[in-house]
Amino acid sequence: MKLDSSRSLLIRLFILAVVVLVAPMTLISLRAMGEFEQGMNPEMDKKAAAIGRDVAAQVDRAVGYGIPVDKLVGVEEFFAPVLTANPEIRYLAITDKIGRVLFLRGAEKDELEPHYQAADLEMSSAEGIKASIGTYLDLALPVAPRGNLIAHVHVGFDQGYVVSKLHDILYDVLVVMAASLIIAFEILLFVVFFNVTGPLKLVGEVVERARHGDLSHVPGGASGDEVGRFVRAVAASIRNVDDLYRQLMAYIDEVRTAHFDKGVVEKVGDVEARISFQFRFSNTGKPLVLHQRRATDIRLPLFLFVFAEELSRAFMPLYVREVGQSLFGLSPEMIMALPIAVFMACIALASPFSSRLIDRLGARRVFLIGLVPAIAGYVMTGAAVGVIDLVLWRAITGLGYALVTMACQSYILGANHHSNRSQGMGVFVGAVLTASICGTAMGGVLAERVGFRATFFVSAVLVLLAGIVISHMLDSAAPPAAVAPQPRRNTMRLFTNWRFSVLMLFAAVPSKMALTGFLFFLVPVILTQGDWQVAEIARMVVLYPLVMVVVLPLAARLAEYPGWRIALVALGGLIGGGGLLTSLFLPSELSMMIAIAALGLSHGLSASPQLAMIPDLCWTECRNMGQTNVLAFVRLVERIGSTVGPLLAAAFIPVWGVDGAVVALGGVVLAMAVLFAGASLAYGTGPHIEAEEDLA
Amino acid sequence: MSWSLARKVSVALFAILLATMLTTAVFGYYKFEDVLSSLVRSRYSFVVFTIKQKVEDSLNLGFSLRQIRQVQDVIELEKARDDQIHGIDVYDHNGEVLFDTDRGVMGSRVPARWLEPLASPSGTAGATQPFSFIDEDAMVVGLPLVNSLGKVEGAVVLRYPEAYLERELGNLLGRLALEFLTVLSAFALAGTLAAYVLLRVVGRRLGAMETTLAKVLAVGGEAVPNPNADEFELRFAEFCDKSREAVEQITEASAEVERLDRLA
Repeated sequence: MKLDSSRSLLIRLFILAVVVLVAPMTLISLRAMGEFEQGMNPEMDKKAAAIGRDVAAQVDRAVGYGIPVDKLVGVEEFFAPVLTANPEIRYLAITDKIGRVLFLRGAEKDELEPHYQAADLEMSSAEGIKASIGTYLDLALPVAPRGNLIAHVHVGFDQGYVVSKLHDILYDVLVVMAASLIIAFEILLFVVFFNVTGPLKLVGEVVERARHGDLSHVPGGASGDEVGRFVRAVAASIRNVDDLYRQLMAYIDEVRTAHFDKGVVEKVGDVEARISFQFRFSNTGKPLVLHQRRATDIRLPLFLFVFAEELSRAFMPLYVREVGQSLFGLSPEMIMALPIAVFMACIALASPFSSRLIDRLGARRVFLIGLVPAIAGYVMTGAAVGVIDLVLWRAITGLGYALVTMACQSYILGANHHSNRSQGMGVFVGAVLTASICGTAMGGVLAERVGFRATFFVSAVLVLLAGIVISHMLDSAAPPAAVAPQPRRNTMRLFTNWRFSVLMLFAAVPSKMALTGFLFFLVPVILTQGDWQVAEIARMVVLYPLVMVVVLPLAARLAEYPGWRIALVALGGLIGGGGLLTSLFLPSELSMMIAIAALGLSHGLSASPQLAMIPDLCWTECRNMGQTNVLAFVRLVERIGSTVGPLLAAAFIPVWGVDGAVVALGGVVLAMAVLFAGASLAYGTGPHIEAEEDLA
Repeated sequence: MSWSLARKVSVALFAILLATMLTTAVFGYYKFEDVLSSLVRSRYSFVVFTIKQKVEDSLNLGFSLRQIRQVQDVIELEKARDDQIHGIDVYDHNGEVLFDTDRGVMGSRVPARWLEPLASPSGTAGATQPFSFIDEDAMVVGLPLVNSLGKVEGAVVLRYPEAYLERELGNLLGRLALEFLTVLSAFALAGTLAAYVLLRVVGRRLGAMETTLAKVLAVGGEAVPNPNADEFELRFAEFCDKSREAVEQITEASAEVERLDRLA
């Protein structure tokens, strides 16, 4: 195990976490399922008995009027509504004394009759006799007017019904377990980086300097554990050497000033020069304390923050519908889409302002400032009384979201040298995606149990927790991120670069339109129409980040080859648009699943290459405006797509219905993707940068 | 209070385990309760449905609801079959109780809330749909009684205790809670032990390096790294040697300066 590498330690700890979490959860879940099944069976029996008794009473009455059992008319028609109203009951039957089926609805005669004839039902009590027949549980109740057994009523229920009902519980358990494992991983990552790898990397840095004779720094930030003790021991040894050095220097100074013999002064000077040649000490009077920013410092708070936002992902439009249905004559669909669009618009508008604020105040402060509107936004969204205030609170949440995420990005950029910035951004994307997976899934489970409003309050608590973590972790005295101030130019001029414009308008914008318009807005609306529960909708929505997690690293690797980038972006667009059109050919739920997976695949394929293309397409703009400004502008333009998406989808619904809206949105996205694919063929021709001369 | 690495990791693991198990248990139990309560509700709804059918058969023969005396026998028979049933009431569209398993309340009026499900405009589905609500400590399931002309004549409702499920599930919950605590304790202990074993290596190696540093600085000599040492430990050994070298050089230099000072 390498001491200053988190990988091996993390793997061991994660295996431990998996064992410690999965084994007891599996054990207790299986036990609980068994108990739940046993708990449900008596109720199933009681219900079957209630139905059987009623049927037996009807037969008894008919026989009382003198009609022989086998001559009863319309019995199967009488069974039909009972079976329809009670889906757990699979069949109803009446047999004669020797088990011959007289009337049956819901099953095949051949399946049941041999069992009835073989069974000894003569002695059946008034409570009935239960028997297992294939996949059915059969309850036989006697029809015995005046104590004379003439027939049996059979009520058959599905043995798998209880199990199918328990499946929902199992899905919830699996969701919670998967989310817990991800959270466990994030927390262990934090514990290992913060307590082991981080301090040891710092020691490694100091040791590396000291090996070359540089004793000017000591590692900072020692905790109370073994690693902290070790860090203090290393620091103490360097301070010890530093003290000896300073005593020597003081002595040399004393000899120099007090001595009259020039030869001695010269020799003492030689000693000083020799020591100074061999070793380097701090010239501030004591060793400097070395601190280091790491991208991973910010990962846990970022994870918690995004997790909080994702909790409402699967039900936001449904919540809006619950809060209010009328606003300035807008259609109900437009009202449902509005808070999502406003949230995205606020992020877009607040992002440039956030960048400037970070330059002035530093990432930590802006993160903490951003938590205020975020917490207020979640609390007030949960307490919203109408659509207008809900939109306002979502706007405020969007402001907080922009401040916090920009602060995180800035911190990560400041913590990583230019060469490993992509690695740093990998930390950002990793935290966002994992938070997206478990936040969305947990949000569905949570909302189904505690309701939409309470889920927003949980989001507020999580954001507060993120604030507590960040305020404890990042040193308040730490200077703002060491990001070089970027020259500011009119970024709108980027649109004079046609390649950039085409990439933005026909690839980036439609991709975000599909994300917010389809996934964030249409999916919950459509699935809820199909009587899907929120937890089920959430499980469906989670497909998107899950597919992305798988595809993204592969696409990122391919994006390292410039030749692949345009192809991946074009292919991603076509897959995303094409996926949305599957509802033309397939049933709604299946097409939904395919469309979501296709969207995940599309974004997984195109996200990294799209970003990687920017410096290639806009190299003069990046030089003149600064790459950070150009990338911030890219984000801004993308957010326009995010804002337009839900509004466009909502506008389509009154015209074509919800399924039609998916197709229409897919049509728009696909058409733009085709245009991009066509235009991308010309990327390699003509003058490379048209705007170059203007800007230079 | 200083916490060792193992303690930090164990506490983190225990917190995650506890939160996960509690969340799962709470969500799982309430979901199960939902499923079971809907099953119980549907059973009682069926009982109500059979009574409704019998009453409506008579209504269709032209009797008024008040005249169908055999309803009292029907509802008493159903109550006698299930001791969990609090009571069954049949009331007219004005809210007057016409038949009740508790004969003492016949002639009284039902709460206004019980009339709400009947208030939907006649002819719409709302007026004929089953309804259920919680009334004080009882769950109420009911069905409107509709004559052959589609007019709502009243309703039949069945009351059963809200705490029915809790009573039914009390033992089950007790057993599960005990098992939950046992499993939680066992795995928390196992996790703690495993964390100590896993992180002892880190502590031991750091401790060894710390001892080497102290020894080299105090006694002198060369730092000898562990045979299985990784790159970090090898570099640290070099650091120890460099530190010792610095101490020796500076001490020698100090002695030299002192000697020069004394010579003069």
